Amino acid sequence: MSEVYELAIVGAGLSALSAIADGLGRERTIVLDYQEEAGGFLRHALPAPGFEVPWELMRSTRLPQTIRACFSATVVGLLPAFEADEPHMLVVRQKQGTSEIQAKRVLIACGGLEITREHAQVPGSRPAGVMTPIMAHQLLAQGYLPGKRAIVYGDARYTRATAQRLASAGVDVSLITPSEAKLIAIEGSPRLQRVALSRAGETYSVEADMLVFGVGMMANTHWLKGSGIDTAPDGRVLVDADYQTNVACIYAVGTVIAPSLDHIDSLAMGKEVASLLLGGIL
Amino acid sequence: MLKDIRHLDVLVIGGGVVGSAILRELARYHARVALLERNPDVCEGTSKSNSAIVHTGFDAPPGTLEARLLAEARELWPQIIEHLHIPYLQTGALMIASSQEELDTLENEIIPKAERNGVTLQRLTREEILEQAPYVNPAILGGALVEDEGIIDPFWTTRAYCENAALNGAQVLTNESVTGITIEDSQIFVRTTRDLTFAASMVINAAGLWSDEVARLAGDYSFTLTPRKGQFMIVEEDHGVSQIILPVPNRISKGILVTPIVFGGVLLGPTAEDVQDKSDLATTAGGLQQIRQGVGKLVPAMAEAASVRQFAGLRAVSSTGEYIIRPSTVSARLLHVAGIRSTGLSASPAIGRYVSELVRDQLGLALRDDFVEELPEYLTGTHAGDGDVICLCRSITRGEVLAALRSPLPPETLDGLKRRTGAMLGDCQGNICLPRLMMLFQQQRGCDPLVLNKHYDGSSPVVARITEGRSSTKGKEV
Repeated sequence: MSEVYELAIVGAGLSALSAIADGLGRERTIVLDYQEEAGGFLRHALPAPGFEVPWELMRSTRLPQTIRACFSATVVGLLPAFEADEPHMLVVRQKQGTSEIQAKRVLIACGGLEITREHAQVPGSRPAGVMTPIMAHQLLAQGYLPGKRAIVYGDARYTRATAQRLASAGVDVSLITPSEAKLIAIEGSPRLQRVALSRAGETYSVEADMLVFGVGMMANTHWLKGSGIDTAPDGRVLVDADYQTNVACIYAVGTVIAPSLDHIDSLAMGKEVASLLLGGIL
Repeated sequence: MLKDIRHLDVLVIGGGVVGSAILRELARYHARVALLERNPDVCEGTSKSNSAIVHTGFDAPPGTLEARLLAEARELWPQIIEHLHIPYLQTGALMIASSQEELDTLENEIIPKAERNGVTLQRLTREEILEQAPYVNPAILGGALVEDEGIIDPFWTTRAYCENAALNGAQVLTNESVTGITIEDSQIFVRTTRDLTFAASMVINAAGLWSDEVARLAGDYSFTLTPRKGQFMIVEEDHGVSQIILPVPNRISKGILVTPIVFGGVLLGPTAEDVQDKSDLATTAGGLQQIRQGVGKLVPAMAEAASVRQFAGLRAVSSTGEYIIRPSTVSARLLHVAGIRSTGLSASPAIGRYVSELVRDQLGLALRDDFVEELPEYLTGTHAGDGDVICLCRSITRGEVLAALRSPLPPETLDGLKRRTGAMLGDCQGNICLPRLMMLFQQQRGCDPLVLNKHYDGSSPVVARITEGRSSTKGKEV
């Protein structure tokens, strides 16, 4: 069998980076992330006004020699140890194939996925041009405009940053917050033509060729199915006050335990986990 | 002008599950055969949006062609599933009676009818049902088990029929919509939107919901089809459901079902709404509400379960009420295979066989001895060196995506790639991986992202390149 890591961190987003910046990972540690670089899904939206702290963290964090960082390395399964003195096992897919990695402790910091139009069950047609912020950011980064006239629906700071980024790329953007009007239907085929909204009981529609649906996050825990890690009905990992899951030596932090978290809280949580793990409390 | 005519023995119009099954069976003969599909991919109509059940036909009207073909298909499926490597699970179906009236219908109508169709239903008490399926609503009164019902991937089935036919020499042409049909004594001329003309000894009209319109192009007004909308919801968490759960069917429809999906999750639906527009695929708040109510009677947990996706499909309701498999009223060379209701997927192996034999007899075709039954397994297996995950939510690797892009009948759209690989079907609904898939499409197939569609023409996820001035502004920001 291959070497046993002291700690495996699943995800290299803000909470993981924040914990590492605070000293976590000084023993033999492996960090695994689906993406090509650190920063979580938020990195696509940065830099942006109001996100100076995470931007700085992303740029300044240097991983210590003790940490082996694996990017484009997706953890697709977790097999907790049967006995207390055995390591946990992670199933990882990367370029060279599927492998198993063993670690005495596991920190689940794999963040969240955006709530989609489908998840929110907004009825109507299924045209092109309906997306969440991460798709919009990635398409822009690839050098393409996802639409010319956008409705950005949502109220999070991250959603507002998306609206700004689209506007600076030359898209005509209207930001609509759920408190202002409720999105009730999507119309058009093959491309989005308009969205139906309701405000104070009155229905109206707005023309657009793209809709950014940015109402919030859900926990990214589909890969934990069958692992025995307890999750809530909404998918988030359940932890105690010390970030400990129901399985010994497996912890979770960040959006994966609290999908409505703001990035500032993710950073704070990362620090807390670092001090708890380093302090030997856990 | 005449040089541009493509001469064929048989031309199949429609790349749904029925047309594709017919094409595969025709490929067994010494004949030049081709299939035209108006959409950018096969399986774009009724065949892709249904309950994905391989149905025994227990409630088909006994003595009809439909009942006969469903019975024959039961014998043919095991080999087809094996040869084409189709994802399939024989889950069995639990029929649930929630009222005394439904119990009576089950006893007096459904069970006797099933027996006449050669299908045995095993009568179960309320207690027996709740013991084997504790997730079922405890308010039920009883029911029955239909052991031979199973679930399948309808898209895989349709694509595999076509790919197998293509590897045996048949032609599959997508983006070809029929605009004109001219019937002459010895052949039929078919023209398409791309200005191709085919001359075929026989034409099979398997255009699904549009087969009445194809018939009219030939001057045959003998039947009409109207669309019936079925809305569905997909739930990722199965809540223990491992069998098809259905209510006792009434005279109008089979009702709203809870059906496991062969690649994970559960399908809820369909509604049955008669609509006017053959392209109306919108879901509605009322329809989704109706599904919730319907499934709540069967599996209470499903009434509140989170859904990752909702969609609608349209099925054909024929003016005759039954399968229309017969020569047209204008020529024996034009054969209609229409009005296949909702049993097209289940009956497709037998429809393919039956129609190909009609063609064989009419044209005097001889069987080839070099027909290859089995499809190579290029989509599955390991892909060393390309094992990194592209679709995060479903753990689909780069290798699996590349294999689909290099397959014999490669996708031309993002939805086509989705249905071949399962990518974009998870929690994020493609928002994370679509831009990556777009780039892989470009690398492998040379598709400009501006013309790479989600599905139909004009559905590209991007509308313009960012101009130089703009991108340099963005550069400064970063």
